[in-house]
Amino acid sequence: MTMASAIELQSVSKRYGPKTIIHDMSFTVEPGEIVGFLGPNGAGKTTTMRMIAGFTTPSSGTIKVAGHDMARENEQAAEKLGYLPETPPLYDTLDVEQYLRFVAKVKGVPARLMAQDLDRVITACHLEAVVKREIYKLSKGYRQRTGLAQALLGNPDVLLLDEPTAGLDPGQIQETREVIRAFGEEHAVLISTHILPEVTLICKRVAIINDGRLLAIDSPDGLQAASEESSRVTLQVSAPADAVRAELLGIDGVQSVAVKEMPRQSGVLDVTCHVEARTGIESKIARVAAGKWDLHRLERQQPTLENIFLRYVGKQEREAA
Amino acid sequence: MNRVLAVYEKELVSYFRSPIAYFVVAVFLLGTGYFFIYEVFMTGTASMNEPFKNMGVLLLIVSPIITMRLFPAEYNGRTMELLSTLPLQPWQIVLGKFLGAVTILVLMTIGTAINLIPLYMYGSPETTNILSGYIGFLLLGMACLAIGQFFSALTENQVIAALITFPVLLGFWFVGHLYSFQSAVILQNLFGYLSFSLPFGDFIAGLIRSEAVVFYLVVSAMALTLNASYLQWRR
Repeated sequence: MTMASAIELQSVSKRYGPKTIIHDMSFTVEPGEIVGFLGPNGAGKTTTMRMIAGFTTPSSGTIKVAGHDMARENEQAAEKLGYLPETPPLYDTLDVEQYLRFVAKVKGVPARLMAQDLDRVITACHLEAVVKREIYKLSKGYRQRTGLAQALLGNPDVLLLDEPTAGLDPGQIQETREVIRAFGEEHAVLISTHILPEVTLICKRVAIINDGRLLAIDSPDGLQAASEESSRVTLQVSAPADAVRAELLGIDGVQSVAVKEMPRQSGVLDVTCHVEARTGIESKIARVAAGKWDLHRLERQQPTLENIFLRYVGKQEREAA
Repeated sequence: MNRVLAVYEKELVSYFRSPIAYFVVAVFLLGTGYFFIYEVFMTGTASMNEPFKNMGVLLLIVSPIITMRLFPAEYNGRTMELLSTLPLQPWQIVLGKFLGAVTILVLMTIGTAINLIPLYMYGSPETTNILSGYIGFLLLGMACLAIGQFFSALTENQVIAALITFPVLLGFWFVGHLYSFQSAVILQNLFGYLSFSLPFGDFIAGLIRSEAVVFYLVVSAMALTLNASYLQWRR
């Protein structure tokens, strides 16, 4: 028997009147992986998260959480889910402990495990100092972390986090990433963000969406390898410029070569080669350069996730236009 | 049922952490105290009949205040997103909130019992009439709160929720007064069935009629069912 995906979307669309917000979206998130949901503002990230969480229903398609169909087994699915919306859903009139206790009770945390579970999330989210404080008195950072704590209650199989580090200072962002990373070792996490470094730091796979369409989903390395964005190899050599240009252009995979003299270093050239995305080309360049000239430095620069993201989004917008 | 109780507890804390509960209970007790003194001490009648009638009218005013924040506060605080994504069915949310509002009603009702002390000290009131009056008052209150709660779910604005609820309750109250003006039997029956005040009058007179009990309970159940259906539809 195969294990069900933690999150499974099959041909999910969402329409509001004549306008389609989400177009035929399909992807899965497996247990033990953190998937980053990447897209510009208004791309449809929050709408998709809300549909997975069961706050809104899709116009067509099916969503399963831990094997439970959201449309037919909403309650069973909700029991397996922890969800932090974009705006933390907090009751200002309650204190932090009362709020967390309320959520834990609704999630069905047994009374004998209640204190233990509350301690676990309070410690993980560093809320010890504000446990008895009314929520309306909390700073933005503490509000965000209280929201995250409620999502972690009940140790859910699936965690949905919509912009979890918004409003946090750098230290808190680091702590929150550690909490998510630790949680994601055994559970499935879908994290929506437009902060690109966040994705490269903690996500196993990245889903890029724009205008309600899933453009790509792969590991950050996979996206880089599949990217049409060419890599760059830069080197510094002491050699005649014409010879460098001719030799390097003769190497299979090198698309273009730009040569310029290094300032204040007579006879040393700064060379930039645009090469195909496949690996191994920099080794060939190094062999040629080291064998024929005096090679001072060589470095390959892969396309950044930011470049890949902008390329996908830009390409889609050009196609739409 | 544990989930209903969790919502109920949360509602109670919310009521007592905001000034609404204290304000409503205070206004209601001041109002009933005034009517009690006016009706009993001025007329010298050791009966709760007239104070009960006035309590019924006061209820039409305070019910919308009790219920107006129930759902608009969730919509505006973005906490409806939490309630809708936790393992909670709409009826559990509705019932938990309703029980919270009914608790305020019960506290208000208990508060009015202070009026009974001078009544029994200086007179010989009919205990059965008082008991049936209180039962009728609680049932009427439940129906008013259920209607108010339903209308609060329809809007994100607390004031609008109260402004819709109040005339509707007033309509249900005064439709009983139109009853006697109707020559057509069908209209008489219709107005009689819809009236909140006519069955309440029976309770005040010491009559606990099963039709009257069922009427208030059915109105409450219908409003709560509509409330839960609306929440389901919103998804």
